[in-house]
Amino acid sequence: MSVDALPPRPARAASPGLVLGAALSAVFVVMALVGLVWTPHDAAVLDVSQRLQGPSGAHPFGTDHLGRDVLSLIVAGAWNSLAVSLVAVGIGIAAGVPLGLWAAAQGGWADEVLGRVNDIVFAFPAILLAVMITAAAGPGALNAIVAIGIFNIPVFARVARGSALPLWRREFVLAARVAGKGRLRISAEHILPNISSQLIVQGTIQFALGILAEAGLSYVGLGAQPPAASWGRMLNEAQTFYAAAPWLVIAPGLAIVLAVLGLSLLGDAARDLLDPRLRRR
Amino acid sequence: MVARTLIAALLLLLAPQAMAQAAGPSVVIGMPLEPPNLDPTAGAAAATDEVVYANVFEGLTRIRRDGTVGPALATDWAVSADGLSWTFTLRPGVRFHDGTPFDADIVKFSLDRALAPDSANAARAQIAAISGVEVLDPLAVRIALSRPMADLPLLLGWGDLVMVAPGTAATNATNPVGTGPFRFAEWRKGDSVRLVRNPDYWGRPARVGQVVFRLVADAAAANAALLAGDVQAFPNFPAPETLPAIERDARFKVVVGSTEGETILAINNGKPPFDDVRVRRALAHAIDRRALIDGAMSGYGTPIGSHFPPHHPAYLDLTGRYPHDPAEARRLLAEAGYPDGFATTLKLPPVGYARRGGEVVAAQLAAVGIRAEIRNIEWAQWLDQVYKNRDYDLTIVSHTEPLDYDIYARPGYYFAYESQDFRDLIERLSRTPEEPGRTALLHDIQRTIAEDAVNVFLFQLPKLGVWDARVGGLWPDAPIQAVDVTELTFDGGAAAAERAGGGAGAFLLAPLVLLAGLAAWALRRHVSPVYLAGRLGSLALTLILATLVVFLLVEVLPGDPAAVMMGLNASPEALAALRAEFGLDGPIWQRYLAWIAGLVQGDLGVSYTYRVPVADLVAERLWVSLPLALYALVLTVLIALPVGILAAVQRERPTGAVLMGLTQVGLAVPNFWLGLLLVLVFAVGLGWVTAGGFPGWESGIGPALAALTLPALALALPQASILARVLRSALIDTLAEDYIRTARAKGLTWGQTLRRHALGNALIPVLTILGLQFSFLIAGGIIIETVFSLPGLGRLVFQAVSQRDLIVVKGVVVLLVFAVVLVTTIVDLLYTIADPRLRGTGGLGRAAA
Repeated sequence: MSVDALPPRPARAASPGLVLGAALSAVFVVMALVGLVWTPHDAAVLDVSQRLQGPSGAHPFGTDHLGRDVLSLIVAGAWNSLAVSLVAVGIGIAAGVPLGLWAAAQGGWADEVLGRVNDIVFAFPAILLAVMITAAAGPGALNAIVAIGIFNIPVFARVARGSALPLWRREFVLAARVAGKGRLRISAEHILPNISSQLIVQGTIQFALGILAEAGLSYVGLGAQPPAASWGRMLNEAQTFYAAAPWLVIAPGLAIVLAVLGLSLLGDAARDLLDPRLRRR
Repeated sequence: MVARTLIAALLLLLAPQAMAQAAGPSVVIGMPLEPPNLDPTAGAAAATDEVVYANVFEGLTRIRRDGTVGPALATDWAVSADGLSWTFTLRPGVRFHDGTPFDADIVKFSLDRALAPDSANAARAQIAAISGVEVLDPLAVRIALSRPMADLPLLLGWGDLVMVAPGTAATNATNPVGTGPFRFAEWRKGDSVRLVRNPDYWGRPARVGQVVFRLVADAAAANAALLAGDVQAFPNFPAPETLPAIERDARFKVVVGSTEGETILAINNGKPPFDDVRVRRALAHAIDRRALIDGAMSGYGTPIGSHFPPHHPAYLDLTGRYPHDPAEARRLLAEAGYPDGFATTLKLPPVGYARRGGEVVAAQLAAVGIRAEIRNIEWAQWLDQVYKNRDYDLTIVSHTEPLDYDIYARPGYYFAYESQDFRDLIERLSRTPEEPGRTALLHDIQRTIAEDAVNVFLFQLPKLGVWDARVGGLWPDAPIQAVDVTELTFDGGAAAAERAGGGAGAFLLAPLVLLAGLAAWALRRHVSPVYLAGRLGSLALTLILATLVVFLLVEVLPGDPAAVMMGLNASPEALAALRAEFGLDGPIWQRYLAWIAGLVQGDLGVSYTYRVPVADLVAERLWVSLPLALYALVLTVLIALPVGILAAVQRERPTGAVLMGLTQVGLAVPNFWLGLLLVLVFAVGLGWVTAGGFPGWESGIGPALAALTLPALALALPQASILARVLRSALIDTLAEDYIRTARAKGLTWGQTLRRHALGNALIPVLTILGLQFSFLIAGGIIIETVFSLPGLGRLVFQAVSQRDLIVVKGVVVLLVFAVVLVTTIVDLLYTIADPRLRGTGGLGRAAA
């Protein structure tokens, strides 16, 4: 596709996707932060006499089987989703980006080894590795972070390598090499700043995927443990109450969908902004 | 040639399996736990007794539904004046299911076997006083004792001491042969055990033709299966919260009875600060039993104040000893030196009463300043950490053996309650088999445990029986661990026809061979030998590295599989013998090499828990997981193709925007939540399909596909969203190419251009994603299989992890990894065929990155 074939694009207002994505993401992040210090009701307080109350003014999303306010649990659970997923992305970037940069700079055997190791990690069914890690180290938010983080590493390694490779043929890199800079220094000073937009986009997408993965792990009981609130675990606990209390199934699921939707919309919009070539899609 | 081999393999895969028919009504009974094996004399697993006790195996005596002892294979018995010699008269004309006659030699064999030093029998300690078994004549035996045992007839009615024949004793674990009114027919691992009526039974024949014990572990799945009519009876229903709704439903009966399960908050008495009785009493005052029973059991359960069942005549109500009184609890804590409370841990096994009760207990403890951190653990970890190594502070568990107060006298028991006074009481009780005096001693026992606040006594576990209103004859109470179906009736005519059929055999590797064959066929014509060799070399390297990773990861799992298998009361010698049997005692590199050697020959080893080859287990499960993945893949393509094309063609119009919005939402939906919603709408609400379970391929393609439809849809929708988006991008790119303009210019219509020129090229990236998605669908079904109670690979590996069945875990994971790597390689090669420009490079993986 040649660039001159594109019709000139008029300057556009922010796309609906960007607005919606940013709004949902902001709600999610604010909710997670606020939930650390304040929730409508105390999410940890059990009041068994108030169990399974339907939605009402006092409890907009009703109460659960132990009499806790569902809205408060969702607000409190946002932090768990945010923290686990964000740290897992951090692990992926911290370990994956240097590996990818190194493979791109080194080429040859290093590239081949990284590719092979990446293949193995990709070949591992993610949930099985998570089950194995949590079975070995016990369930908990920390192990969920590790399990999800490991799968982020090859993702970022690939993105970093793929984005860095063409840069090595560019003139400014050539100039730096002529100036006598080593491969490491070039990777850090010239390559990394130029691939940061791709990394941010991928980071947003992995952030969204991490929330999904965390919900899945918590749903099968391998994520955050009580009394910490968790959306996935709320769904697990709600399953048998669906006839008596459908709001218990619907509310946490919607929370997950909206948070993931917001972040992935934001990621797509960010990619469109940062990579104009893709705007037509 | 290759093609012919492939067709043969395909036929093998699709070969129908035999179906055995049984006369008379068939009843499906739901069970929360799967038996580890079917030999009740080989361990303490309650799930084994629940299936085979009285149904398949019988003892000299039997426990009846009211808990009393009655005759079974012995018609009557007498004890000598000194209490040291018992004579049992045997029932004539009894035969085992394989025709072996039952006589006094069988009795001697069975009891000697249970008493043998290497026996894994859980009741061995209780019958240690038996000093000899003597055959008097073919229908009479004498049992000699070293001390009087008033409860010998009761003990002989336990599942541990049923009669087994010498010829079949060794294989009872997988093919139980007893004398009971039902014969063992089939065990589908991870799914069900099927029993059929024994037409030659010595007593009153069973009134139903067939009973299927179906594993339904999950509370939600149990509820769904009941409502959907997949299961006719749950002797122990795992979802008490749904009982009010079920009670109102005329189709079902709810029968709440008692069990022998004292549910306790167990305390490590040996570990500070719990070695201080004031702290333990503070715990007791901190707990509000009523709120706990309401929160954890939806109100079902009787509060207890000591370790003794309320329905026993000698029960003493001590629930008032430590009333719920947070102020008093705080005062006691301050007195013990903890005015601000302390931090501790609460380990919870994976049963509803513990997990849910734990949250309530932690909240109630927090109210008096004790900060208990909850740790959810699997049964294997519970047995290993809590029960065996006493590595715990607090835990919640139900002790379901009848009248097991003697555990408080056992040295080294996990409560770490070492009281000589209490041991003296138990000693005096054993010398007081009759009144007067026995009831008073039982009262003292209850009082002593309560006074010392050894544990916090929570509630007697109820037996929540739920069954179809047409089902009759099940026990309301559970005086022992048994689901006696000998008097079961069902007047609903032919119930849901249960499937039968043998194991799928050793076709385990057929699909993989099929894939490899496909690859070879594809390669022959299109790819140079050098490229092929390189690709296969790196494939082999990947596989070797993968086996190493899997092996090392699995090896670090905690928990002793032998201990899990043999149950709570196994002796160290028996455990060592078992470890040797499974090769668990060699050095690590030796075990790895042995495993790899087997792997190469298609031998994945023998399952610890099921005692059958892992290859057979996997083959059975593959029949569910593979079709499910294929079905989901077909749905994915069927949904993604029109959506992707439409979204590309209409990209500037509202239709395109709406479709993209929908796929964006589809990406964000967790597939298990989608599964839950689909069940809510289509199974519970509309009743169009069953809510879970799998009827088997023998029941016909239609019912089997129907059972897979919702799970496949739940798996497919998020994947279809991804694929549709990829297809749309690829099409838009292609449509912008010059040759498309040329095609339009030469007069082709839009549709013709799309079909002849655009679609083919746009499918290249789609194919890539599709290959990756198939791998995901095969492996990623684990959660969906749990939601829908499907007996697939995902559920197999999940169960295997919790049962510490390392061989199965290794086998399944390695197989899945192999499958994913193979599929990726094949896609790589197909990609090379589709796009010859890539042949010189490393293929897709490199090029697409």
